[in-house]
Amino acid sequence: MKIDLDAISVIAHYHGNNDIIMDEQMPIYGGYAGGLEETAIVDVASAINAFVMSGASWHLDGPVHIRWGSTNTRETLAIAGWSSAAITNHTGFMTGNQYYPCAGPCTEMVFLEVAAQAMTDSASGREILSGVAAAKGVITDKTTGMEARMMGEVARAAAGVDIAEINKILSKLVPSYEKNFANAPQGKTFQECYDVKTITPTDEHVKVYEAAKKKIEGFGLVFK
Amino acid sequence: MTYKRSIDAYEFYNRAKIGEKCSQDDWDLMHVPMKAMELKQKYGLDFKGEIVPTDADMIEKLFQAGFDMLMAGIFVTDTNRIVKYTEDEIWDAINNPMPEFQLGWGRDAVTMKRREMGDKRGPLIQGGPTGSPVSENVFYEVHMSYALEREVDTLVNGVMTTVRGYPPTPKTPFEILAAKTESRIIKQSAATAGRPGMGI
Repeated sequence: MKIDLDAISVIAHYHGNNDIIMDEQMPIYGGYAGGLEETAIVDVASAINAFVMSGASWHLDGPVHIRWGSTNTRETLAIAGWSSAAITNHTGFMTGNQYYPCAGPCTEMVFLEVAAQAMTDSASGREILSGVAAAKGVITDKTTGMEARMMGEVARAAAGVDIAEINKILSKLVPSYEKNFANAPQGKTFQECYDVKTITPTDEHVKVYEAAKKKIEGFGLVFK
Repeated sequence: MTYKRSIDAYEFYNRAKIGEKCSQDDWDLMHVPMKAMELKQKYGLDFKGEIVPTDADMIEKLFQAGFDMLMAGIFVTDTNRIVKYTEDEIWDAINNPMPEFQLGWGRDAVTMKRREMGDKRGPLIQGGPTGSPVSENVFYEVHMSYALEREVDTLVNGVMTTVRGYPPTPKTPFEILAAKTESRIIKQSAATAGRPGMGI
């Protein structure tokens, strides 16, 4: 809900250059706005403002938890889900959401966290999913293409599924990882879980992916 | 009130010089939390533990609360003033969204189109480290790992921890060099993955 004038000058440049404009903001659950519904109110206001103030082509969201620095907690998922629903049902705007799970690459937990958010975003009408900044996006080289693969596979699988069913799956999926936020596995670096020369995930990485996918299927999601 | 013309960066800038004065602390610690709390009560918002909402009336109330929150204004940190819009100015933006647009070019281009809740068509996938730190010596390889995934439609970059061995410290020439180098390497990684037209 605030901006500096350098950013406004940059927006003038983007318009003069005929650019596609992505306007980004990440509301903080537990920050100035406060609780769940309050943060969602600010999220909706900020999303609309992207199109009023910036003349944006699309808005990139990313509700983040003040304690865990993650977009994959049940509170931040709910803020994202409700905000997207409000924008989707009452405007013609297009929005995306970005991914900051607690766990690092090559862990079951990171894939479960990604899956929960991809289900939420796909079902609530988001047009684009952006990520994944594994290990909260703060540790060097702890991001790989495999996390994005899970984001894509789950988003496609969740598309068209009844929303009550999505919530039912989420009610099993989220509790499967949320107890581990304080001790989330930091996983491996890109160099440790990929053959860097051929850009191929290691056998171990593929096995961890497969195991996570099976677990998600066990919660009720049918992959296409 | 009927608006005189649509809001743009220039009109926003003009209002940022004459809007109501407010300190940043007042905005952060009083205006935002008090208004959000007031609107939650006014509209009786309660998500009842649902992650993806099913209550259309409650979704509409959240939209109205968000609209009212925006009517309270946007704080400008340089001038310590609040920029406000009229209801009609906000509706002007809502009534005129971009219907769709293309990201990337050629056979690698994708079209971003509106989706609905529960839409059978999946969203686009923008793959990448999303601002995470990435070492200079594997920057190309890390981004190619996304471009090689068919699930990925466009690329979003990470941040080089060094460029030519130096940290890209803000407001130094190395910051500019890092930004230019990042975009060149990402384009090259997409091309080497066989997808030179990917949107980045």
